[in-house]
Amino acid sequence: MYSQMNAPRQRLSRDAVKVWIISELVTNLIGFIILGALFYLDYRFSWKEWIGWILIAITAISLIGAVWSFINPFLLYKNWRFDVDEEFLQLKSGVLKEVHQLVPMTKIQSVATTQGPLLRKYSLCSVSIETMGSSHTIPALPKDAAIELRNQIAQYAKIKEVEQ
Amino acid sequence: MTKAKRYNPLLILFDLWLLIKNSIFFVIFLFVIKAGSESTFITYGRIIFFLAFGLTIISIILKWLTHKYELDDRSFHLYKGIFSKSERTIPFSKIQNINRHTSLFHRIFKVTSINFETGMAGEDAAVKFEVISQKEADRMEAHMTSAVRDDLATILPSDEEDISYSAMEVKEGKSNRIIHFKPTKNDILKASFTSLSFLVLIPLLSSLYFKINEIFHVEDKAEGIFEKLIGSWWMVTIVFIVLIIASATFGIVRTFLKYGKYEISSDHDRIYIIKGVIDEAAFSIAKEKVQAIEIEQSFLKRVLGLAEVKLTSAGSLSSGEDTHEINSLYPFLPIKRAYELVSEILPYYEVTHKMDRLPQKSLLVRMFMPSWLWIIATIILFYFKPAVLKLEQAWWILSVGLFIIIVVLRLLDFFNTRYILNDHFIQFKKGSLTTSLFVSKRDKIIEVEVTRNIFQKLLGLASIGTINRAKPVHHAGVDDVPLELADSFYKWYMGRRNEIELG
Repeated sequence: MYSQMNAPRQRLSRDAVKVWIISELVTNLIGFIILGALFYLDYRFSWKEWIGWILIAITAISLIGAVWSFINPFLLYKNWRFDVDEEFLQLKSGVLKEVHQLVPMTKIQSVATTQGPLLRKYSLCSVSIETMGSSHTIPALPKDAAIELRNQIAQYAKIKEVEQ
Repeated sequence: MTKAKRYNPLLILFDLWLLIKNSIFFVIFLFVIKAGSESTFITYGRIIFFLAFGLTIISIILKWLTHKYELDDRSFHLYKGIFSKSERTIPFSKIQNINRHTSLFHRIFKVTSINFETGMAGEDAAVKFEVISQKEADRMEAHMTSAVRDDLATILPSDEEDISYSAMEVKEGKSNRIIHFKPTKNDILKASFTSLSFLVLIPLLSSLYFKINEIFHVEDKAEGIFEKLIGSWWMVTIVFIVLIIASATFGIVRTFLKYGKYEISSDHDRIYIIKGVIDEAAFSIAKEKVQAIEIEQSFLKRVLGLAEVKLTSAGSLSSGEDTHEINSLYPFLPIKRAYELVSEILPYYEVTHKMDRLPQKSLLVRMFMPSWLWIIATIILFYFKPAVLKLEQAWWILSVGLFIIIVVLRLLDFFNTRYILNDHFIQFKKGSLTTSLFVSKRDKIIEVEVTRNIFQKLLGLASIGTINRAKPVHHAGVDDVPLELADSFYKWYMGRRNEIELG
């Protein structure tokens, strides 16, 4: 790939890793609390045997998922790249499955920055881009950079091609 | 064209007809099935029904009184609202395709329905005229298309020959259309065989038989006669022959009603498709609004050398209540004729037969990709171990059978897959039993994507994907192409900067 053109270079904020890990921590915690409650109920009301097996299987999968969810943010950060120029938005992401996307500026319909409580703590923003056929999100950019990127995309996307 | 008009008064009748059609179920339930019922639920149900029925009638009349439409040189203006008025303006240039539908109701009153479809999402995506006189529909369609043509003419003044040509066309109107295809008797016979519509009679007859049996208990009474019938071989033969003739006739009649009066025609800048004998549907699209072409062949069609050509439009393709898509050029075209037709009606499109095959190593990837269907099916089979036909080992035989089917389908898909980047066009073909060939132009593709999973990375392969405007958006792509192709695919798409017009 990219032998004949510029590969996207810009990266996400370093703090993205922290944000992802914290949010994974919270989700995993909630998940395990629910599982624990189910195990207790299973024991207390002696549910059918197969329910116990399913619970054990779910726990095993969740444990593997939990371990992966603490490795994944580093890899995700390492692999995320994006770039904008006057004509195209380029995105590249993915660890096991690498995804490259090329979106013409003229097809972008809207662009927005959003900030959840976790992102706000690290003063980050995510930029979401809607096109005619899909939507894309660039997660976790420093707030100023995100706003600048949003304005820049809006500026480039103003030019519309003759629609046929 | 400046005065706002009311819709055709027959619209009231049409809406009433729809209302009656939709309330038949309630009427039967409330007044026939529960005729003697005194329960409060039914009594209130009846009151609510009458209220709703009355209110709908009032709203139908008010709707006719307040809704108006108007056409100027550039757009439709639609007015509606009783207390809060609203005006909607839809420029002609946003219209993607025009659908007409003439049902039996329309036939009786010599009217039709016409929808001007835009690429927008949501309820208001189309300018709809549910009942309109044929003349008015023709006039509006001609007005809209000629307005768009004039607009184009002013944008491209260099093409002088074109302008004089289109100006001539406006005067001559319909006469300039070239008819490209009308099915002959032979085509319909082939179509009725290929669509297997003669098989439809079998479930129809058997369900009829069971219904009759339920009511009259034919089976018990007829047992004696039936045994006698079975007993004589010539009787069986006669019944068999009669059944075959009946189902064949049924199939042909059904196919004729559906595809008998098909007509594909085009003029300088639009394509027209008309179909249906009783329920007539018509579809027209400007040539430059065709987003992509698909040529589909089911297994049976491939054996018989037939194909279906579909045009992709950004507008909605179904008209009114019934949802058959009418974007298909005749579904049973001889394959050679199908390719000719594409180049006749869409001279800007190039479809080439020279396409590349997948490299051997992509077969490797495809064979080693786990099949979730097979894994889940096998786990379920292993757990329940169902005995089929008293066979204990049935579960692993079924599992192996499914495995073989999946492998064969993957092999077929591998051998059927072809792709090429042909100047402004991208073209790919895939599918195991039913194959489909997808052709689109670079400036019509609104987004591209390349993905690579671990296996593909190891072997230097990639998957490419495109997104086109359609309803819903059309995703297409080929898996496991060489990485070099993915690379040139990206570069090819970047080249669209040279051919788009900026407005």
